[in-house]
Amino acid sequence: MSFPVSQALIITAYIVAAVLFIMSLRGLSSQETARRGNLYGIVGMAIAIGATLATNTELVSHAGYPLKFHPLVFAAIGGGAVIGAVMASRVGMTQMPELVALLHSFVGLAAVLVGYSLDLRELPSLTHRIEIFIDVWIGAITTTGSVLAFLKLRGSVSGKPLLLPARHFLNLAMLITSLVCAVVYANDGNQTALHVGTAVACVLGVHLVAAIGGADMPVVVSMLNSYSGWTASAAGFMLGNDLLIITGALVGSSGAILSYIMCRAMNRSIWNVIFGGFGAAPPKSAGGPAKPAGEVQEIDAVTLADALRVSKSVVIVPGYGMAVARAQHAVREMTDILRKQGVEVRFAIHPVAGRLPGHMNVLLAEANVPYDIVLEMDEINGDLPTTDIVIVIGANDIVNPAAEDDPTSPIAGMPVLQVWKSKLVIVNKRSRAAGYAGIDNPLFYKPVTKMLFGDSKDAIEKVVTALKA
Amino acid sequence: MKLGIVKETWPGERRVAASPAVVAKWVKAGWIVQVERGAGVLASYPDSHYETAGATIVEPRAAWADSDIVVKLRAPILNPDGSCEADQMRDGATLVSYIQPAQSAELLAKLAAKKLTVLAMDQVPRISRAQKMDALSSMANISGYRAVIEAANRFGSFFTGQFTAAGKVPPAKVLIIGAGVAGLAALGAAKGLGAIVRAFDVRPAVEEQVKSLGGEFLTVSIKESGEGQGGYAKEMSKEFLDAEYALFRAQAREVDIVITTALIPGRPAPKLWFADMVELMKPGSVIVDMAAEQGGNCELTKPGEVIEHKGVTIVGYTDLASRMAHVASDLYGTNLLHFLDEMGGAAGHKVDHANDAVRPALVLEQGETRWPPPPAPAKPEAAKPAAPPPPAAVVSKPPEHRPAVKSSHGPAPRPPSRAVGIVMSLIGLVAAIGFLYVRFGRAEASAGVETAQLLQHLTVFVMAVFVGFQVVWNVAPALHTPLMSVTNAISGIIVVGGLLGALTPGGLPNGVLVAVIATFFATINIAGGFLVTRRMLAMFRK
Repeated sequence: MSFPVSQALIITAYIVAAVLFIMSLRGLSSQETARRGNLYGIVGMAIAIGATLATNTELVSHAGYPLKFHPLVFAAIGGGAVIGAVMASRVGMTQMPELVALLHSFVGLAAVLVGYSLDLRELPSLTHRIEIFIDVWIGAITTTGSVLAFLKLRGSVSGKPLLLPARHFLNLAMLITSLVCAVVYANDGNQTALHVGTAVACVLGVHLVAAIGGADMPVVVSMLNSYSGWTASAAGFMLGNDLLIITGALVGSSGAILSYIMCRAMNRSIWNVIFGGFGAAPPKSAGGPAKPAGEVQEIDAVTLADALRVSKSVVIVPGYGMAVARAQHAVREMTDILRKQGVEVRFAIHPVAGRLPGHMNVLLAEANVPYDIVLEMDEINGDLPTTDIVIVIGANDIVNPAAEDDPTSPIAGMPVLQVWKSKLVIVNKRSRAAGYAGIDNPLFYKPVTKMLFGDSKDAIEKVVTALKA
Repeated sequence: MKLGIVKETWPGERRVAASPAVVAKWVKAGWIVQVERGAGVLASYPDSHYETAGATIVEPRAAWADSDIVVKLRAPILNPDGSCEADQMRDGATLVSYIQPAQSAELLAKLAAKKLTVLAMDQVPRISRAQKMDALSSMANISGYRAVIEAANRFGSFFTGQFTAAGKVPPAKVLIIGAGVAGLAALGAAKGLGAIVRAFDVRPAVEEQVKSLGGEFLTVSIKESGEGQGGYAKEMSKEFLDAEYALFRAQAREVDIVITTALIPGRPAPKLWFADMVELMKPGSVIVDMAAEQGGNCELTKPGEVIEHKGVTIVGYTDLASRMAHVASDLYGTNLLHFLDEMGGAAGHKVDHANDAVRPALVLEQGETRWPPPPAPAKPEAAKPAAPPPPAAVVSKPPEHRPAVKSSHGPAPRPPSRAVGIVMSLIGLVAAIGFLYVRFGRAEASAGVETAQLLQHLTVFVMAVFVGFQVVWNVAPALHTPLMSVTNAISGIIVVGGLLGALTPGGLPNGVLVAVIATFFATINIAGGFLVTRRMLAMFRK
């Protein structure tokens, strides 16, 4: 086979695109360069698609017929772009986790389809068949796992972990079945084996995500992000396309790092999250460890406003409750008023606050909170003992002192924001229910803690009104 | 129960035992409060305010004689003729004030003769639970602040550095010796005025508190902890002192203001700022000796006076808290309020020997000596307050300070080694897959070429994984979500696979159709991912 000039061009274009993708990720590592990073990504993608469309038209099939792009593909690109754009511009920042999960499933689905397409179009060689199977298998797990994650995040499906009695055995059985299907398909290209393998992977994806509790969602989403990368990489092997391999590997390792960071933030191993979860010892946690019976003290918005006015430093700890109540704008308004009065207001973000890594940052940014007053857990924990007032808005497990004090607690050892060391802690909660992890929080009964019950948005708006009065 | 607030008769004393705000709370709690005429005038609390608060204004004699409990600030004055203010009290009544029982044997004998019950506010234990009754800390806090104000008043320059059209003014440098309650309050006040503040203390444990207030912590490098009992420092060895003096001499040349607060309980204040150190200081410098009442930390201090020595002003006031009588009276009154509440309030007032916050303060009970108190059973709480309770307005619970923030997070994570671990295991995985490929690949004729290609791809893959780890590892946590959506968009590169599958010699076979659908989904991903990232990033502002 001769080596057409167009192939040299396309390889060059792919290298440029790969470099741009790397620069894109690099750019995303700090706020100043993030926007440029996104731009690099867009340019890289445009080059990759443009080069593919421009040069491959000169290719010929094995049989010697000239190959053309089927016109429908342009319609697909146009339609996909429009739908994607509409989705992206309509989504609310509180629904970000759902959108990201859904997009992951599209990558998985595309990978599955590309694999099937290759299998249908030509008679793949042995190596190709193995690659196709791997591509399709990972793609299928990503697809169904992401769809379930999407449904869980939307609340359509309960966030409680589904723990089947013999789930480890079940996983193992599915893995073995997949291997058998892989061997059968690889040996003689039996399409039924490929289909069965896909089906098994679909079930496996659902089962893996179903077993993970709602509080672990940030890990799940970033793991699926990683999977979607590995899928793309597998497709690259299958098609012999280095650009796909490189890009997939970048995305895959990026997602893996994010999952790792999330796990570290909860002081758990990734295996514990995937296979154990909080259900590792269900009877123990269900029986309830130390139940700190005690009275909570309530505070009303007006009293809180008075206390805020005379304070010097205030730290706000947002959690998923703030996202659910869409209270971020009210919180920003409160922040503005206090800052104008010379109160130092800062935000403390726990790495797993919310349902997506960095979820809280995005919400606060949407509400126009300057990012230089938004601090990470490690940055602010040392300042908490000198803080006058900490306001916890819709967060629970990430401020639970049981993580440090109670070795029997399911979240024992998880680093938490040590809000109880400050002089006054205000906890805003809808009700007295336990957090997502389903455990009681001794913070509520501490003498420094006052509870501000009510929907975050209503409660904070009342405080804002009282501050303005 | 009748509570009497008497006028302080100590010369120059401006404070009073309670403010009208405190009196109002007492009245509300059921006490009958009588206030001696003019008791609060010097603290800017006129009689009318006490009346509004619900107290009766009475003549001096009635305030002393007609009260079940007399509260005051200074210990009753023992006149040279042997008579005592407290002689006016009813037999068997209760007195709550400063007493200093260790130095007041004669006074105590007088009080015992009257069969009084006497509680000493200066003996309230320094345990966390009793902080709200700790008058010593309240007063030390005020004195520390006032010391800085006195220094500023006599210092001929700004505390804060300034750049003006007429030239540059350097910030004042303040050295605080002894970082107890008063020292920390002074540190906060001086820092608030914009000075550069250094604090020296023999107790290494207070370093964190000094730093938390923005001060620079000075200590000497000899390993010896000066942690004594009850939050005070103990006396140090000669070797240590020599090093300490050397440090002071070096500082004397540099600093503009020195505030000394070093006290050792039951002893005269240690001398640590000698005449030669004063002479090393720049003319115009100010020393405020807060230990003047116990003889002073500075060799040249004259208690109660302000003197000048070779251009250096030495303030030896012993009544710093009294110079802030208004707030001092209010805080002392609040301490009293909590103390009486602890004793059972108006309805259930009694002396409870089992109460570990009250018992140490009990000096006389119906004339019987109860001081010093029996050693408290070794309770964990009693041992805890190693650090002195710093001013309540600054740090609320010093004993619970953790040494460092990071240590409470369990073993500190070491990202690089873990990252390497992940990479290594990935490489291992890839190698295993590669091996499998090679084994299977041999079965076909074209295996050789394919294996070579595969290994080439594997190389690219492993390199890319590495690059990915290196690039992403340092991403700011705030950007995790945008990073995810951008990688999401980028993983839409699978569209290339879809496109290649959509190449057809003509017609629309199933394989091509499937590829078109794949293209469709991948494009949604690309457009959606990039756009949403853009939206998010546009929101981040500084």
